[in-house]
Amino acid sequence: MALPGQSAPDGVPSFKLVLVGDGGTGKTTFVKRHLTGEFEKKYEPTIGVEVHPLDFTTNRGKLRFYCWDTAGQEKFGGLRDGYYIHGQCAIIMFDVTSRLTYKNVPTWHRDLCRVCENIPIVLCGNKVDVKNRQVKPKQVTFHRKKNLQYNEISAKSNYNYEKPFLYLARRLVGDQNLHFVEQVALAPPEVQIDLQQQAAYENQLKEAAAAPLPDEDDDIAE
Amino acid sequence: MADPKAVGKAFVDHYYNTFDTARSSLASLYSEQAMLTFEGSETQGQQAILQKLTSLPFQQCKHHVATLDVQPSPMQGGIMVFVTGQLLTEGESQPLKFSQIFHLVASGNSFALSNDLFRLNYG
Repeated sequence: MALPGQSAPDGVPSFKLVLVGDGGTGKTTFVKRHLTGEFEKKYEPTIGVEVHPLDFTTNRGKLRFYCWDTAGQEKFGGLRDGYYIHGQCAIIMFDVTSRLTYKNVPTWHRDLCRVCENIPIVLCGNKVDVKNRQVKPKQVTFHRKKNLQYNEISAKSNYNYEKPFLYLARRLVGDQNLHFVEQVALAPPEVQIDLQQQAAYENQLKEAAAAPLPDEDDDIAE
Repeated sequence: MADPKAVGKAFVDHYYNTFDTARSSLASLYSEQAMLTFEGSETQGQQAILQKLTSLPFQQCKHHVATLDVQPSPMQGGIMVFVTGQLLTEGESQPLKFSQIFHLVASGNSFALSNDLFRLNYG
C-alpha cells in the first residue's frame, strides 16, 4: 500500500511489506540502504509511518515493495493494527548481538499473523558483522517451527541485502526460479564483513537445520 | 490550598525533566500502590512501575508539552492532569505524538502520583 503521491508506474506489481522487530535492531538502517527508496520515501504523520518504495528488476520484469517502517513506536509497546492491515509480506528483524530481541520474535510473529494471515515472512538476524554475537546460528530455530525463511544479514555492510527480497518476490509471484537481473543501487558499506567467518556461520546454520527441533518456543538460555 | 494549575504545571515539568534525564529517579514520584497503563500494558506498584519505565529500550528521550489541562479531582486535595505533546527518542528523525493523564493525590505536605495513563497517538 502506497502513500498518496507514491503510485507505482503502470504495470509494475507492488506489494506492501511490513517491517517489524524490536527497537534498535536496525530496521531503519536496513531499509535506508536502498538508495532510490530513500529518495522517494514519504512520511505519514497520522499513521506514524515512513513508506519506502523499493524497486527490483527481475527476469520477469520490475516489481516494487512498499516497505513500511515505523517512527519508533515499537520502543513503547506493540504496534497498532493499522500498521499491519493489508500487509502482503513481512520481514521480522532481530539483532544477533542482543538475545532479548530474538526472544521477542515470537511476539512480533503473533502480532503480525493476527492481522495478516498466511503471508510470506522472512526472519532476519541483523548485525552479523559484529564480532561477539550473542545469538548463535544454531540457536535460531523459530523460523523452522513457523515455516519462515531465515537470513543472516548485516545492513551496514550490505551483506545478504537482496536475499529477503528475493525470497518474498518468489513467493509473491509464485515462481521459484525468479531472479534479480540488475544490481540495486545501495549506500556504500559502512563496515566490512569477514566472509570467512560468515561462511562458518552459514555452515553452522546448515548443520542446525539437520538437527531436531527443541520443544519450547523460547529456547534461548538467559 | 495550593493552586491546582500551578501544581499540575510544576509536576509535569518535573516529571518529564526527570524522565528525560534520570528515568530511574521517577519511582519516588509514584505512590506505593500507584498504577501505570503504558501503551495498554498495565503495571501496579512503585517497583514494578520503575522496572517498566527503566526497561524501555532507549536511553535518550525528549518530551515537549503542547497542551496541559488541570482539574481538582473529587478526591480531597487530588489533581487530574491531562497532557498532549511530542517526544523524540534517540536515533529517530520523526517526533511521536503522545497523550498522558496523571492523577495526583495529596500526601502530607506534598503530592504523590497514584494513576498514570500513557498513549502514543497514531494509527
